[in-house]
Amino acid sequence: MLLRSQTGPSSGNGPALPELHRRLKWVALVGVVALLVLAGRLWQLQVMRGEGYYERTVSNVVKERYLPSVRGKILDRKGVPLADNRPAFNLYVTPKQWKPEIRAELARLLGLSDDELAKIDERLDIGRKRDPKQPIVVLEDQGRDRASLVEQALARLPGVEVHYEPYRYYPQGDLAAHLVGYMSQMTSEEAEKLTNKGYHTSELVGRYGLEAAWENYLRGKKGIERYAVDARGQRLDDQTAATLIQGERVSGAIPGANLVLTIDAELQRLAERAVGSQTAAAVVVVEPNTGKLRAVVSKPSFDPNIMTGHLTRQEETMLKSDPRKPFVDKALRMTYPPGSVFKFVTALAALTDGQAAEDESVTCHGAYELSGTTFKCNATHGKLDLLGAIQKSCNIYFWQLAERIGLDRIADVARLYGFGTPTNLGLNGDAGGRIPTKAWYEQLGHYKVGFATNAATGQGDVEVSVLQMAMAYVALANGGTLYVPQVVERVEGHDGRPIVSYEPKVAREIKMPAAALDIWRRGMWKVTNEPGGTAYDHGYVSIVPVMGKTGTAEIRTKRRKKDDDERAIEGYAPTRSHAWFAGWAPAEDPAFVIVVFVEHGGSGGRVAWPIAKQIIEGYFGKLEKRGNP
Amino acid sequence: MKGTGLALPRSRIGVSRWRRFRAAVDWPLILTILALAAIGLLNLYSATRGTRHHAKFDTQVQWMVVGLIAFVISTVVDYRAVVRLAWIGLGAAIFMLVVVRLLGDGAHGKGSYRWLNVFGMGIQPSELAKLMVILALARMFQDGELSRYSIEQLVPRLGALVVPIALIAVQPDLGTAVLLGLIVLSVGFLAMPSVWPVVHVTLAGLLAIPILWETMHDYQKNRILAFIDPSSDPTGNGWHTRQSIFAVGSGKIWGKGYGEGTQNQFDFLPEHWTDFPYSVWAEEWGFLGSVFLLAIFGFLLIWILNVALSARDRAGAVICIGVAAMTFWHVLINVAMVLGLAPVVGVTLPFISYGGSSLVIFFCAMGLVANVSLRKYGY
Repeated sequence: MLLRSQTGPSSGNGPALPELHRRLKWVALVGVVALLVLAGRLWQLQVMRGEGYYERTVSNVVKERYLPSVRGKILDRKGVPLADNRPAFNLYVTPKQWKPEIRAELARLLGLSDDELAKIDERLDIGRKRDPKQPIVVLEDQGRDRASLVEQALARLPGVEVHYEPYRYYPQGDLAAHLVGYMSQMTSEEAEKLTNKGYHTSELVGRYGLEAAWENYLRGKKGIERYAVDARGQRLDDQTAATLIQGERVSGAIPGANLVLTIDAELQRLAERAVGSQTAAAVVVVEPNTGKLRAVVSKPSFDPNIMTGHLTRQEETMLKSDPRKPFVDKALRMTYPPGSVFKFVTALAALTDGQAAEDESVTCHGAYELSGTTFKCNATHGKLDLLGAIQKSCNIYFWQLAERIGLDRIADVARLYGFGTPTNLGLNGDAGGRIPTKAWYEQLGHYKVGFATNAATGQGDVEVSVLQMAMAYVALANGGTLYVPQVVERVEGHDGRPIVSYEPKVAREIKMPAAALDIWRRGMWKVTNEPGGTAYDHGYVSIVPVMGKTGTAEIRTKRRKKDDDERAIEGYAPTRSHAWFAGWAPAEDPAFVIVVFVEHGGSGGRVAWPIAKQIIEGYFGKLEKRGNP
Repeated sequence: MKGTGLALPRSRIGVSRWRRFRAAVDWPLILTILALAAIGLLNLYSATRGTRHHAKFDTQVQWMVVGLIAFVISTVVDYRAVVRLAWIGLGAAIFMLVVVRLLGDGAHGKGSYRWLNVFGMGIQPSELAKLMVILALARMFQDGELSRYSIEQLVPRLGALVVPIALIAVQPDLGTAVLLGLIVLSVGFLAMPSVWPVVHVTLAGLLAIPILWETMHDYQKNRILAFIDPSSDPTGNGWHTRQSIFAVGSGKIWGKGYGEGTQNQFDFLPEHWTDFPYSVWAEEWGFLGSVFLLAIFGFLLIWILNVALSARDRAGAVICIGVAAMTFWHVLINVAMVLGLAPVVGVTLPFISYGGSSLVIFFCAMGLVANVSLRKYGY
């Protein structure tokens, strides 16, 4: 044996350590036992049980799949879904398992076109570079037929998976599209920020409307599934996964909360149909005793189903180059000169200041001279009192009042009714508009007396949003309560349990003498109910008493861009006046306040009023039929 | 080599110093060590390649160079001179153990004090202590000295051997403390004229286990409990052992092939480059490779004992026994731990584990063996 083969050269006087020589057999014994134990254990683990361990561990890799949360629904006040979810069948493939045979089998099974196959190959190439064992979506949102075809053939298609994922779906199409909004993929800058908040980069985010503003309630929380795969990326059974993955394997997704709106889908549809023939318009219908929005229309609009996720660049450019601006909310975001619907401000200011009286008569000769400038009325009205001036919308009467009270008094009352500041609805921009004052003009360096004249009839630099006008008429209807408009009634969990309920919010109580208000209201009554009224001449509602005021806001015909002609849209004349109608029904104890606005529609009485009439008749006609007047 | 015969045969006079030196050098020992070091690097490369730990390979190569230099130095400087300074060396090691207790970086291992920061390098004084204890043993057993000691002389010397063990145990680094104790007992068993004192100490140590258990930290107790029943805590302490067993077993007879070990590649085995390199090796090289590596260690041990048998004095023989014991226990405990036969303790696999302190100390230890081997010819 090696150990005994040599004795040291210096061992002429015996070994240096004789004890060691004596105990070598013990050393050998310990060494052999140790080796046998270790080698025996290796034999047991690697040879006897090796196959089992190999099966359990070879190429085990933990993979994560994110489980999308079901986004909260957006429902109208009666529970009609405006935004919902539907299951989309997505086809996943693990790049590492993708073989020509499987490709051919899948192509045969689904009858895939060459284009589709090329797209699949492209996606797999990208996925392979990232992680060949991570399944990726190759066919998105397939029909039920295709999904079940694949599902039945899964055994022959290793590495192919079908997942049912919730996709956003707007069952009412473009109904209330501006209000509901849409979703889209996050940009790369957003992706960085949002992934910290638990988003997955493939998720869509609310981009517009309620989808954007109420994102935090709607989105819920995504879940994660962790699983083990073998060397080929084939998923392993749960029992094996349990031995390989530390901690929880599945944390389920938490569904988002539902929004219940104050909107009445039926009324909304009615309003959208009523403006159907117009190219660009807005309608706002509000409950006068709560400030709750019942319908908000902005036209032109879009189908959020198309907008959400899969808009092609071409479609996008087309939509964005439309001069009517389909992506700008005309009810909330845009501001326009209000025209004569604004005259209540001038009337109330003059009446409270004692600068006007119901029986004071003015003679309208069709024109008005002020410091060298001639202002023209819409007609030669002859002699009329205040009620007549409201009824016939005589400008000269109000210009005289303006001369007495001045621009800043008009501005005071206008601000009291909420003009000039955002309504705090907190949606789609919610514009503040503009109420000019003397100081404002002086800052610009050119105040003239004529500015008050313009403002008195809602012209010149006065700009308001359709929503602001509606909220102001709500305050007129209810006697002076200016509400913050409300569109979300409550938030509830996906199971219907209430989360938050919102109460009507009052912006301010306007102190206005009842007599002054009464005079204005009687004027409004005449507009829609007496011959000569600007609305009455274009139609009369018989089923319910209505009162209102028309407006025809002239446009400063300054710009007529060259390309306007190129992109001209039939029926859209950018030089024509804006048509307005604001009013309510029933006249006493109103159920809703309605404001109709038609962009470049022309005369308020001829264009806006018939739309309001159609909506009112449609709504109250249906109520009557149900025997519920 | 054998042909060199006596230290300086007449025929050899006139042969150059260098050729005589070259002929006397223990080449089989050196080749065995180099083979192990190469296997260690190969294995580390597979374990860390493509992970965020890949820089560890470069670090280890640098330590290899340091180790080789240490090997040469500890071969060339006459061990008899070194043994004369053994008590001072042990004193220095004890001093460092005290310093590490007071100043060391407690953040490294679960609030234990094992590391000393010297010029930016993490040094483990407990590794140095192993070497110094072996040298101190050699000093004690030097020709006849042991029998000359009176009780009054013997007790402080034995005490000096127990102090570092105790200091390491309270770091706490139970694995190293037990290992050091085993080295002392092994040397005692092989070098004492009578084995009975060693047997008595061993029995006393076994009886002290219940007391030790009471003084252990919770994490240490948990490790031992997890070893006894790995399924009791499959995601915690049992995790390492289970995953290690899976890795070893999945290697089967031929192994998965170099670089194909999925268990280690996907971080199923935390810290596999320090405490579980054998697991990585076994997964990739299978039963044959695993036994082959054990065989290399076996050959190394036999060779070191061979040097011990032919040493020219007791001190040299005791050094070899000590180094053999240290190597043996390191390999046995580490491999047993990897195979699920011992609790998870921080005991490295010589030359294979990642880590500078362990590597350099083993190179030094083997250098001392080569030193003894070189001087058996009276060189």
